Amino acid sequence: MNLERIPNEEKLSLCRRYYLGGFAFLPFLWLVNILWFFKEAFLKPAYTEQPQIKSYVKKSALGLLLWVAVLTTWITVFQHFRAQWGEVGDYLSFTIPLGTA
Amino acid sequence: MENLISINCVQLLITALFYTCISCSSVEQKIYVELNKTAPCVRLLNATHQIGCQSSISGDTGVVHVLESESDLDWILSAGPHPPYMVIMETAFFNRSVMLSMKNSSRVAGVAVIISKAGLAEHFSPHTTCPNQNTGVYSAGSEFANCNGTVWNPLGNGLSYEDFTFPVFALKDENQTQVIRKCYEDHNLRVNGSAPQYPLCAMQLFSHMHAVTDTVTCMRRTDLQNKFSINPEILCDPLSDYNVWTSIRPLNNSARGHAENESVVIAAVRLDGRSFFWEEAPAAEGTVSAIVTLLAAIHALYPVIQEAPPLRNIFFTFFQGEAFDYIGSSRMVFDMERNQFVMDLDNVHSMLEIGQVGLRGGRDVWIHSDPVSRRNSSMEKQVSEMIKDVNSSAAGLNINLQEPSVSQPLPPSSFQRFLRVRPIPGLVLTDHEKAFNNRYYESMYDDAENLNVSYPPNLTPDEQLVYPTDAAKSLAEVATLVARSLYTQAGGEQNNLSNITADATMVSQLLYGFLVQKNNSWFRSLLPPEITKKGGSSILSSGPPQFYIGLGPRLQSPVHSVTLFVQYILANLTGNVTNLTESQCQNPKELSGENKDLYSYFWVSGPSSGNSSADPLCVRASVRLSKAVSPAFELLQYGSSDYSTWTESRWKSIRARIFLVASRELEMLTLGVGVAVLLLSLLVTYFISSKAELLFSSARETPTTTY
Repeated sequence: MNLERIPNEEKLSLCRRYYLGGFAFLPFLWLVNILWFFKEAFLKPAYTEQPQIKSYVKKSALGLLLWVAVLTTWITVFQHFRAQWGEVGDYLSFTIPLGTA
Repeated sequence: MENLISINCVQLLITALFYTCISCSSVEQKIYVELNKTAPCVRLLNATHQIGCQSSISGDTGVVHVLESESDLDWILSAGPHPPYMVIMETAFFNRSVMLSMKNSSRVAGVAVIISKAGLAEHFSPHTTCPNQNTGVYSAGSEFANCNGTVWNPLGNGLSYEDFTFPVFALKDENQTQVIRKCYEDHNLRVNGSAPQYPLCAMQLFSHMHAVTDTVTCMRRTDLQNKFSINPEILCDPLSDYNVWTSIRPLNNSARGHAENESVVIAAVRLDGRSFFWEEAPAAEGTVSAIVTLLAAIHALYPVIQEAPPLRNIFFTFFQGEAFDYIGSSRMVFDMERNQFVMDLDNVHSMLEIGQVGLRGGRDVWIHSDPVSRRNSSMEKQVSEMIKDVNSSAAGLNINLQEPSVSQPLPPSSFQRFLRVRPIPGLVLTDHEKAFNNRYYESMYDDAENLNVSYPPNLTPDEQLVYPTDAAKSLAEVATLVARSLYTQAGGEQNNLSNITADATMVSQLLYGFLVQKNNSWFRSLLPPEITKKGGSSILSSGPPQFYIGLGPRLQSPVHSVTLFVQYILANLTGNVTNLTESQCQNPKELSGENKDLYSYFWVSGPSSGNSSADPLCVRASVRLSKAVSPAFELLQYGSSDYSTWTESRWKSIRARIFLVASRELEMLTLGVGVAVLLLSLLVTYFISSKAELLFSSARETPTTTY
């Protein structure tokens, strides 16, 4: 789909759908939303729907940032402490590397 | 036409790839020399620790350095400019201080030990000073805990119980050792103390272990994987095998729990040993001396028992896995307690165990007993009665019976597992008073030579088989003592004792089979035809058997080779030849007069006389196997402190190879040039394809005009 070819109202509804969809624990939708609508929101000359698109993109970016922060922290903590946690660490793991504590 | 050309091109490409692949294997052969006769040190785990060795997943590589002097050690650990080093050492250097200094150094990639008898140290025992110290009867809190008072193996350096982060291999083949030495001398030798130049000889060892930390962790992970993973992977397996037992009056094997009207004298030995390296455990003095003694004693007892059966039953048992915290005996006692065995502990009258008895310097045999249970007056009475019986049995034998001081605890023995549960009168016969006479306890040097089993030159294998060595004669004396003691203990008539004499030839044959050559005519005649037929099984490969217990499911046979040998030797020594056919022998249930509950039926090769091939026959004997899996795995108590928790890690590949390495600069240069060529070719392709119109316009027109 080429964003150039669709009318502005449809762009807005698409952007909103992606923004709302992201709340279903799907941060990648927010990422796509940002990549897709960044130009529309900030670089294109102003049009009626632009402020709304802008706000959706900003909120998506915020949500994504939150997710990235949370995931990075968790992964760091998990990788660092998995061996120390012992039993708990094993139960939290899906695959356990062979031959390392 | 264009299609045709493209098909041709594809074909050409495939053939080219095909040839590259063939040549790539030969390139590998040109680069690497595989060392196939090696023995690794592998990782074992118990409830709290991991021991053994491991490499990284892609193998550990280092520049070869042969450790021949102190200055070499300094070179390896600090001065040498090419770390990490792969240390090749003679056994003389394979000791605790050297190995620990390597363990603490990051400059060691691995160790390869040359196994040879030359320059062997006066003593070498990689075991602990106090074997099985936490699972015997004198556990923590007891006044005799941790070998307090009597250190049984003072020569033990504990190497087998260290955890090394690098691989350690044993090199068993003289020729391959020569290849490595030559490679080292050609490339790595220091010239006037200055560092050698690249290319250098390097060695790569693969022994990546899957299990880690302890048995609790690895069993938990294995269980988790089995529950959730699509591709479950077992990380470690419990050390396990089978005990062998028989009794002079058959016990009903389908019955469980207390056996009515049975009073049983237990005669016990252990079946296994270990060493630092995996499946390299000759255990001559440690185990074979006892096995041979008991088998010879059984052989001596049987004719007399047929004519004048003693009052009580005698139960002979061979415990497997005793080197690893008494796996076999703890399981049998556990089964007896739960009424899961053919008898229970109430049936046990007394127990006589044979320890290490092969190195009696003079004529001494020491009678050990448990000082703790002897404090009870009725136990004291029974034990001294037993000692008196043994003493009276020794009359006329070239044996000087001695007792250690009353306050001395028992040496490591299966009997301790029985005493843990309840006081039972019992004795342990050994050749040592305090410390073991065995200078190579649980090491790869506890072999025939350690037991002084040697033959005059120029004997054929069949002559060696029956040659009565001094060791055989000495063990035959002990076997006679054991047989007579057991007969007396079981309430047999005193005047029959003189008829019980162990046969030195029998002892010779047993020693030859267990210490020198298992593939001999006598062993072949005792074993089933599917094992003895040519190319039938690797169980009868050349050389002595190894006594490390190993894991449950085995490739060649359902049981350990030693267990199998003892089982079939027992069957042949104690059983009767029947006239059943092969199919009847394998399934004698329907036949009248035969009883599977009382007897096992063994289809054996039979002796071959002269040139004619052997006629297989069916032997009926009350010889049984019982599981030797630690109760900890039955109860799923992987962290148990009462029972053995030893497991062996799994691994994917264990191998070793040597090759020449270039300097790091040269390697990097080669890689850099390769990358540069790749980038250049990409660049060129890009330019050519972008200017394709220009470059190929005339060329494309020419062929079209020809059509």
